[in-house]
Amino acid sequence: MSGWQQEFIRNFSIIAHIDHGKSTLADRFIQLCGGLEEREMQAQVLDSMDLERERGITIKAQSVALNFRARDGRTYRLNMIDTPGHVDFSYEVSRSLTACEGALLVVDVSQGVQAQTVANCYTAAELNLEILPVLNKIDLPAADPERAIREIEDIIGIHARDAIRASAKTGVGVPEILEAIVARIPPPRGDAEAPLKALIIDSWFDNYLGTVSLVRVIDGRLAPRDKIRLMATARDYAVEQIGIFTPKRKQVDVLSAGEVGYIVAGIKDVRSARVGDTITHAHRPAPTALAGFKEIKPRVFAGLYPVESSDYDAFRDALEKLSLNDASLQYEPETSQALGFGFRCGFLGMLHMEIIQERLEREYGLNLITTAPTVVYEVATNKGDVLRIENPAKLPEPNHIAEIREPIIRATILVPQEYVGGVIGLCVEKRGIQKDMLYHGRQAMLTYELPLNEVVLDFFDRLKSVSRGYASLDYDFLEFRASDVCKLDVLINGDKVDALSVIVHRQQTDYRGRELVKKLRELIPRQMFDVAIQAAIGSKIIARETVKALRKNVTAKCYGGDITRKRKLLERQKEGKKRMKQLGSVEIPQEAFLAVLKVDNTK
Amino acid sequence: MPIEPPPLSLYIHLPWCVRKCPYCDFNSHAAEDEVPERRYVEAVLRDLALDAPLAEGRTVETLFLGGGTPSLFSPESVARLLDGVRALVPLASGAEITLEANPGTVELGRFRGFRDAGVNRLSIGVQSFDDDKLKALGRIHGRAEALAAAGAARTAGFDNFNLDLMYGLPGQSVEQARVDIVTAIALQPTHISAYQLTLEPNTLFHQHPPTLPDDDVIGAMQDVLVDELQRRGYRQYEVSAYAQDGHQCRHNRNYWEFGDYLGIGAGAHGKLSRAEGVMRVAKARHPDAFLRTAGTAAARASIRFPSRSDLIFEFMLNALRLHDGFPAALFSQRTGLGLRDIEVPLRAARGKGLLTLDADVIRPTALGRRFLNDLVALFLPSDQSQ
Repeated sequence: MSGWQQEFIRNFSIIAHIDHGKSTLADRFIQLCGGLEEREMQAQVLDSMDLERERGITIKAQSVALNFRARDGRTYRLNMIDTPGHVDFSYEVSRSLTACEGALLVVDVSQGVQAQTVANCYTAAELNLEILPVLNKIDLPAADPERAIREIEDIIGIHARDAIRASAKTGVGVPEILEAIVARIPPPRGDAEAPLKALIIDSWFDNYLGTVSLVRVIDGRLAPRDKIRLMATARDYAVEQIGIFTPKRKQVDVLSAGEVGYIVAGIKDVRSARVGDTITHAHRPAPTALAGFKEIKPRVFAGLYPVESSDYDAFRDALEKLSLNDASLQYEPETSQALGFGFRCGFLGMLHMEIIQERLEREYGLNLITTAPTVVYEVATNKGDVLRIENPAKLPEPNHIAEIREPIIRATILVPQEYVGGVIGLCVEKRGIQKDMLYHGRQAMLTYELPLNEVVLDFFDRLKSVSRGYASLDYDFLEFRASDVCKLDVLINGDKVDALSVIVHRQQTDYRGRELVKKLRELIPRQMFDVAIQAAIGSKIIARETVKALRKNVTAKCYGGDITRKRKLLERQKEGKKRMKQLGSVEIPQEAFLAVLKVDNTK
Repeated sequence: MPIEPPPLSLYIHLPWCVRKCPYCDFNSHAAEDEVPERRYVEAVLRDLALDAPLAEGRTVETLFLGGGTPSLFSPESVARLLDGVRALVPLASGAEITLEANPGTVELGRFRGFRDAGVNRLSIGVQSFDDDKLKALGRIHGRAEALAAAGAARTAGFDNFNLDLMYGLPGQSVEQARVDIVTAIALQPTHISAYQLTLEPNTLFHQHPPTLPDDDVIGAMQDVLVDELQRRGYRQYEVSAYAQDGHQCRHNRNYWEFGDYLGIGAGAHGKLSRAEGVMRVAKARHPDAFLRTAGTAAARASIRFPSRSDLIFEFMLNALRLHDGFPAALFSQRTGLGLRDIEVPLRAARGKGLLTLDADVIRPTALGRRFLNDLVALFLPSDQSQ
């Protein structure tokens, strides 16, 4: 019982842009290696969450252990480790890649190289992974393999002349890919006799098993009943079960250096088994942990409130359940004068936020109001404290503030040349500082430092629109940097609505204030009275709009006839109002709280 | 508290029209061949014979022949119908007997015949005096017929008649709406009903909506209408109803005061207060179904006994339509409930400035009249206790 010999193991990931065919290719591998019977091949096995499948992206990393009989007549264990496919999850990507010796770079030959792919490839290259380029979708009429090859060579900087041409859809070239994995990706070179070092690639919560962690054993051996220690928290656990996914879960007796599998060890929640942490033996600990472990911090925050205050408990339970499986989701109770009791939730980014929101509404049937997302600001007070402000309404009075620092990201944007002008214009508008601009054939690669706040607002949508959908973006957090920002408040009929406050750059206050009240005027329906909407900085009103009162709401005819129909009409009207929040005598629809996101910046 | 027997009215539905108008959501059917007048009159009388005991000996104060287009029926049929009614239920000596007439189906002789049959009030559905607008509404008559109908009514001896008008018509300007109302006033009806055109579900207009004037234009039209009507002696007493002194429609007023009524004929609805509470009856909707079942219990397509909370809503839905409100005591008389049963919504409505309660009169405010749906919605069953 010594597990697989390392020379027969190949660990690899697939790097691909959304829709470039990663999942289809993975399915083909599983099929070719006999991982599942034909009838078990549910389309795209790897993306298991419904939402993931709908959006074509992967949120949780998964892995499949495949047995591949190569042309040399020998059987190899191929561990395919899935990587999350979105900028919000770049840390997770780097941990998945760390667990591999090689990666397939899959490029859709009808579309070429995208920023996401570039960023992940750079990460893979930094980790010294062997990168095998694969030109996918060569069966498409729009396929331009020569262009894709040039782009891979120019932008990513690896040889692509001998890239494998394949079509995951038809199966062409797929066996060649598997052969290349065996031939070109080096086997792991761990020391099975050394003290145990296993990397946590991902953790999730299973209702029957508790916390399950996907691990890559670097050195040593892992077996059931071992006493293990998680090095980041220095807590010890007893291993209950280890195994692999074929993709079906299958218990094994040992996971040796070089192998990938799962571990169940009575760990209470996913927060205790953090991605990137090192597992070692309690009785014979490794002297040092694996490098690269980071505490992941949410960067984007929003207030989430149940529309019906009676849903509060159900909402809290739902957040608790979701966070069981999502260590990066943070939530803390918060009270808003306007919206009542809710939670301030922290997310890795906008996509993460959208996914959580959607799951809360879809899986838990909650009707929620979300406030505009905001980033974390560091506020240095006159007293010398540094506060982390996750909610604009909590920004201290200006006279207590020495300095406000906002998060800055380094953004890499890949865009066809003809759209470079538009992208630069957008970055300038978003207070970006250009750091680099390189041309690679048809494509340009722009590097900008951008305030995350601006990116959170509507950057993705705008980027897509100025580039007709061709630009792609990747980013990393850089630093907190002093900035002249201030709080923009919104008053409705003279009352400040805390949930509508936003933090904006001083140069943009007039413009944003004006646009925000204009948008609110469109979103707030006419009601019995005029509704005055004002934007204010401190006590200074900078913009005002009025939603004029409705003329009337009357049923013209009502005689002795069918009363149930009139009643239904009134009940429908009332139902419509239920989805609105009553602020004083004013009814505000849920969308209004996200108005700041919908402000049209195309002047 | 037992409900005192309220005044009793009788509604008789005559469901056929020459053709169906695209805005109409009433139970009306295009008459394909000959309207089966004789069979229908007999069926109606059988239906009334079945319901008559529900009147519990009360006198019928008002009778309304509605439709559809009742004026499609011959004066002879109407005479037979009214004679039959008199034989089945006690009709008050001064009873208001109204018949709905469509200008496209009238001639002087017919009106005289209706008069002789005992009809003493006409309601003429002119809708507009503008040929283009009438066309847009799918009406079978034009301006000339509309004017002629009013003249014929008067010549036939109907001093008491109503003109139905609509405003907010496709492409209508405020001035056009004003001309319509002034034209109507010049014909000196005792009563004018001015309805805003609304797109009702299950109508052609709902499926293919015409472009209607915007809210503000319609609001302005209403202001102009009310102004013209008030100045010429037509006082508004309900959302869409205006009358000269002493000529409010007693039949409709009985609905709004939550009185009782027998509903006879295809799809007719009746409401009766009985010892055990209020009962609502609806008749088989389709003319064929009604003809088949009239006189048997099967003609009663539904019988409903509204709960206390239903009753509160239904009372308010009607009574709050009255421009000057109603005596608080009427609520108890009609529902058997006390004001304390509506304390919560009453307080909410007063708080929002939608109604007043003083000198024992509950009255919608000007704001309440403009936002009557919002006011009435406060009395929806789910809201009463919140």
